[in-house]
Amino acid sequence: MSPYGRTGQLIRLNLRRDRFRILMWIILLAALMTSVAWKFEGIYGTQSEINAIKGTLASPGIVAMFGAFSFTGKVTTAEIFANEMLLFMALIQVVMNLALSVHATRYEEDLGITELVRAHAVGTDAPLAAAAIELVIVNGFLGILYSLGLTAANMPGATIEGNWLIGLGLANTGLLFGILGLLTAQLADHSSSATGLAYSLFGLSYLARMITDVQHPRLTWWSPLGWVEKLAPYNHPNWTPIWLSLLLALVLAELAVLANNHRDLGAGAITTRPGRRNASVFLRGPISLIWRRQRNVIIGWIVGIIIFGIAYGTVFNTIGDILKTNPTMQQVFGTAMVHEANHKVLLSFTSLLAIVMAAVAVIPGMQLILKLHSDETRGWLEALYARPLSRTRLLFSYVGTAFVTSTLAYVGGLAGIVVMGDASLKHVQDGISASEFWQGVWAQLPEIWVFLALSVLLIGCWPRLKALSWFYLALGFISVYMGSLLKLPDWVKNLAPSGWMPRVPQHDVNWTTFSWMVALAIVLVIIGWIGYRRRDLHMS
Amino acid sequence: MTNPVLQINHLQKKFGHFQALKDITFDVRAGEVFGFIGPNGAGKSTTIRVLLGIIRASGGTATIFGQNVWSDSVSIHQRLAYVPGDVYLWPNLTGGEIIDLLLKMNGTAHSAKTDDLIKKFGLDPTKKARTYSKGNRQKVALIAAFSQDADFYIFDEPTSGLDPLNERIFQEAVLDLKARGKAVLLSSHILSEVERMCDRIGIIREGQIIETGSLAEMRHLTRTMVTVTLGDDFDVTTLAGTHGVAAGHQPHEWQFSVEDAQLSAVMNTLAQHQVIALQSTPPTLEDLFMHYYTGKE
Repeated sequence: MSPYGRTGQLIRLNLRRDRFRILMWIILLAALMTSVAWKFEGIYGTQSEINAIKGTLASPGIVAMFGAFSFTGKVTTAEIFANEMLLFMALIQVVMNLALSVHATRYEEDLGITELVRAHAVGTDAPLAAAAIELVIVNGFLGILYSLGLTAANMPGATIEGNWLIGLGLANTGLLFGILGLLTAQLADHSSSATGLAYSLFGLSYLARMITDVQHPRLTWWSPLGWVEKLAPYNHPNWTPIWLSLLLALVLAELAVLANNHRDLGAGAITTRPGRRNASVFLRGPISLIWRRQRNVIIGWIVGIIIFGIAYGTVFNTIGDILKTNPTMQQVFGTAMVHEANHKVLLSFTSLLAIVMAAVAVIPGMQLILKLHSDETRGWLEALYARPLSRTRLLFSYVGTAFVTSTLAYVGGLAGIVVMGDASLKHVQDGISASEFWQGVWAQLPEIWVFLALSVLLIGCWPRLKALSWFYLALGFISVYMGSLLKLPDWVKNLAPSGWMPRVPQHDVNWTTFSWMVALAIVLVIIGWIGYRRRDLHMS
Repeated sequence: MTNPVLQINHLQKKFGHFQALKDITFDVRAGEVFGFIGPNGAGKSTTIRVLLGIIRASGGTATIFGQNVWSDSVSIHQRLAYVPGDVYLWPNLTGGEIIDLLLKMNGTAHSAKTDDLIKKFGLDPTKKARTYSKGNRQKVALIAAFSQDADFYIFDEPTSGLDPLNERIFQEAVLDLKARGKAVLLSSHILSEVERMCDRIGIIREGQIIETGSLAEMRHLTRTMVTVTLGDDFDVTTLAGTHGVAAGHQPHEWQFSVEDAQLSAVMNTLAQHQVIALQSTPPTLEDLFMHYYTGKE
């Protein structure tokens, strides 16, 4: 039997197993892309609208978030679209691919399913190959849908070649990171560390592209995530990124196969060491248990977000220096005005980043809260419930850790931006002041807490609906992040708590909004707590 | 007589429209091992989860130490030890860490007894739980339970992954608990184990307790198997009070079962036909089990 025996059957099995999640992702992503393209002529149809946004997109702050693109000659609606959407869609597509790839390989192995499959006449590399082909199918199908959707939307300035370049470019970027997930799944010894490893590399490519975009766009070629920016689909179509990502994906796939052949099933290339014979004095209750189990994840998130903040901070000196883009300003307005303008630019940049930081900081907390339910269904809590340990204490151990983690992550991330940013400036008065920093902290914390409180409510009362937490967070993030560029109506932004508070530190904190948002979070947690005390626990 | 440690009265549990427990009534007293047997899906684990306060009963009452299992679960658990059937352990902790943590949460600590149990069961406590086999995961839970000084022990199919040697260590430990006057509820599939250790047995079928009592009491409800070799041509099929009569492998050898009430009459008749060899086997728990489940023999 060849090492790839029965791959075909496994692919069918995988597609059937994942049909629901694949379908959700494809519908969501294709709908997002096509509907934005459809609406785009209405948003940026006229030349004056295009010229206005063109300046915004060229500003370093937006470049840091959306990528550097060069405009030459008369700019069309389609070019603006590509500029705003390409990197953003690539990010979502990478998240989808990492979820699918680790789930299809390492997660199945952790559950013991791979062992069952491999006991049959199935090749040694077949499960890996099946997962890789599943990724090719999903990304390919999605890419084709993008291209067709863009063609149907028919934006002014769009070309057939550009449409296909976008579709295939995104598909290849997604595939590349999916294959990266397959590789980390072979290196790590269980699914969560495989995911962690893959996300670290993803974060690294993001940071690399962000810093190079702001300073030397030419160097962005060194980040695989930067390749989508180089497609330039509607001005100078460039197919090189597609061949590059395919080539790198092939290399990574080969490495994954090599790693798979050199390890035992159930073990990683990085081996597990023996651990302590006894528990430390510190490990004595539910909170220390969560810490002991999740400390790598918690520390990883907090440190990761702080590094992210610092990386954004390093571009302050480029962004906050209007003279670089507009050298005549000083002569016209005088030094004081220039500092004032620089400060304004940095404030609005920090406001936008604060939203991103807040959304990212919610993720580890939300994971911890939802973990209370997955631990429950996996039977890990059964041993705890048989102890003299009330449900109230157990719930608040998870919830408390989650709130602290998210809060620290957010404050740390924002501090990273502000401290590093101010340090990089030539004139400190251009930077963000301490009081503005604290305004930024108080403005976003209620939003973070409301998101987490909603998860507590779902876990306590309707645990089956827990996936809604992620949808709601995604909705909140997209509506605010893309809101102003897509000119979304206010009611869309107000659907999620991320839109309830005015942009701070650009504006002041609205303490009335602050108070009722905190009150709302408390009420949601209390209802969730009551539900959790009353309901049956689901054991496997 | 003192109050029973565990008292269950007409316990019911519904999951949506599915009635998982219809009518469960039994009690467990101090100093006894109560065997809880029944096929997969009969409701053993559901009953135990109600007792632990993990799920809430839809009807009936259940008390442990005279306290309500749902509302007073925390104070009950202070004096209770439990080993689940499928032991799931936190994958990135070692066995040693888990044992210590579980003990600490009950307010006790790792003792010489714990070390002794780890040695007896042959567990390597430095391994991460992720790498343990099913039997080793069960050992972790068993060691934690036996090192605890509880008054009521619940074991839900605790030996399904253990080898015969460890099974024996388990049985010794349970008998030791009994000698110290503790109450034990043992749910098991291994009928020989139940037969050897349990003072009383409850049989559950489709969410209902269909029989409780000691093994001796239950045996009266069924028939004794008899194998006899006679000295003449007597046809046992003509004998009243016998069931399932079959000719044996040897000439004049017969096998049949007989109800306890008919036993002496049957023996008298057989004695007149020159009994050469006679073997009578009381029903095993397995026979009882089959009797209740298939409604035959």
